[in-house]
Amino acid sequence: MTSTTDIADIAKIIGGDHVTVTSIARGNQDPHYVEILPSYMLKVRKADIYFMVGMELDLWAQQIIDGSRNRKVLIVDCSVGINKMEVPTGQIDASMGDIHRFGNPHYWLDPENGKLIARMVAEKLINHDSKNADQYQANLTQFEKDLDSAISIWTKRFSNLKDKDIIFYHNSWPYFSKRFGLKTVDFLEPKPMITPSPSKLNQVIQKIKSDGIEVIASESYFSDRAPKFIASKTKVKTVKLAQSVGAIESADSYINLFETNLTILAKAYGVSYD
Amino acid sequence: MLKKLVGGILFTTFTFSQTTVNPQFSVIGDLVMDHLHKDPSLLTSGIEIAVQGYVNPFARADIYLHKHNDDSPIELEEAVMTIERGLPFGLGLRAGKFRPDLGKINQSHAHLFPFIEVPAGMAKILGEEFWSATGVETNVFLPLPWYSNFSLGYFDSGISSHDYSDYEKDEDDHDHENDHKDKDDHNHDDEKDHGREKQTNAFSIRWSHFFELNNVNHLELGLSGYSGKDEQILGADFKYKWRPNKYRSLTLQAEVLQHSLEDEYMEKAVHPDEKLTVAYAMVNFQFNKAYNFGVLIDYWSLDLADDEGMNPSIFFGFSPVEESAVLRLKIGQLERENDEKNHKKNLKTTIQIIWSLGPHKPHRY
Repeated sequence: MTSTTDIADIAKIIGGDHVTVTSIARGNQDPHYVEILPSYMLKVRKADIYFMVGMELDLWAQQIIDGSRNRKVLIVDCSVGINKMEVPTGQIDASMGDIHRFGNPHYWLDPENGKLIARMVAEKLINHDSKNADQYQANLTQFEKDLDSAISIWTKRFSNLKDKDIIFYHNSWPYFSKRFGLKTVDFLEPKPMITPSPSKLNQVIQKIKSDGIEVIASESYFSDRAPKFIASKTKVKTVKLAQSVGAIESADSYINLFETNLTILAKAYGVSYD
Repeated sequence: MLKKLVGGILFTTFTFSQTTVNPQFSVIGDLVMDHLHKDPSLLTSGIEIAVQGYVNPFARADIYLHKHNDDSPIELEEAVMTIERGLPFGLGLRAGKFRPDLGKINQSHAHLFPFIEVPAGMAKILGEEFWSATGVETNVFLPLPWYSNFSLGYFDSGISSHDYSDYEKDEDDHDHENDHKDKDDHNHDDEKDHGREKQTNAFSIRWSHFFELNNVNHLELGLSGYSGKDEQILGADFKYKWRPNKYRSLTLQAEVLQHSLEDEYMEKAVHPDEKLTVAYAMVNFQFNKAYNFGVLIDYWSLDLADDEGMNPSIFFGFSPVEESAVLRLKIGQLERENDEKNHKKNLKTTIQIIWSLGPHKPHRY
């Protein structure tokens, strides 16, 4: 079992025919909030390993695991070993919005971190099922090779995205932006998970007009209303990106998640990417 | 009894827990206003304090305290240890003071109700604060293709008496006149609510099912039973939820309980075969991130006495910042008894403002 579809896709690649993988959250769901259904507990009841995103993104997972009454399930936090970004310092509280104490948890949106997740998955599968260890190791090696190759190609093909200013709806994209050189200049949410206010929208409109910002990108699960309102007042283009595997139809695998998002952005900016 | 229970759970939590990490503390505050009350219009306000955490890798403890904004003492709503992943055969266990698994609504804290107040019919059986008793309850997943859970509980005080035992013991422990006064007042209120003598020891059972019809449609069904001294309750409940995305959902929920009475109810003699039937049905539609709207039908009847009542109401909710604060409005009919069979009907408007600090939230869509 996994909390999200991204880890599920990686686990399927590493585990191959020896594993059955199910994700609790669907790709088009907001991973911060997943309604806890009894049927999820039944699924976890049969699981050998549960891979969590961690960093307090999928806090709901623990309640599902507890409710499963599965005494043997191994709980794995995939964020261990990740070089965490935006770890808050000093006093934090709810006045700062829905802030994550251990840093920004959207680390899977850097493909380099996909390799770390894959290594974690492989290690746990090898420990749990040592008779198929060679297969898991071979799958890991192949996945890392494929991902390295893809990163190398993306870096060249989408080099025109480098240093482009962008406004995101929610702060899900620091790992992605850092990897591909985008410059995040603002968010529609005044604070994490706080609905955009009229004054915030007005502030963003002024910034777009003064700085010539071309693109607003949002996660697939957010309403279009605020981005479209801003687009109606400016010349900005609005796009929806896949925050997870399955959020958009073409983002049907971990590698295609990046291919899809980079292509959407290149088209929005009108830059060549072939 | 109450002190021993709380002391035991706190002792277990803080002494045998395998961590030095503090438990989670949450506070939910609320303010309720309605136009029926004259001076002032603020009806009740208070806070719920929740202390929650893991005792060890297999068990957790949850303690809920409630303090009304008046001179009444802090009330213990629940103090329960739950063993979730420590027992064989998929067994779960709860021990302490808690809301037994009887029906759908009894386990919900009032701040989760989109309709603000306990449905009046349900309160006639479960009480205004619902049934919370000291005991032990075990539950098990049944080996069926869908989620099917069976629970069985044994408690030291039944529904008719769930507040009495603690007060009596407290009175023995202390001998303060003021305490006596408060408790006597409270007991008197309870007698008004229930009209029955103290009863001890009770059993409850529940068989619940959950069907994930597809990604957006879910169905829950439940059957419940209760047996106390000279009283039995049977219940059935239903919940359907359609949730196409995070900010849209439609919930249909209904529940019926039938209580076999003895020879007295609400301080009036009733036929020994009399049955009190109570029910509610709710439709709740969340139509965007912050707003929900719904209808509640609240019903009760005394079968042989041919006496019944029904209170329809509409409700509205606004949650501006996720789940941290909620404003609720309810407009409904309030039916009050004038004499034996005549009921006076009033329109009642209720407003609730509710907020939370910490992870325990005031509502869930």
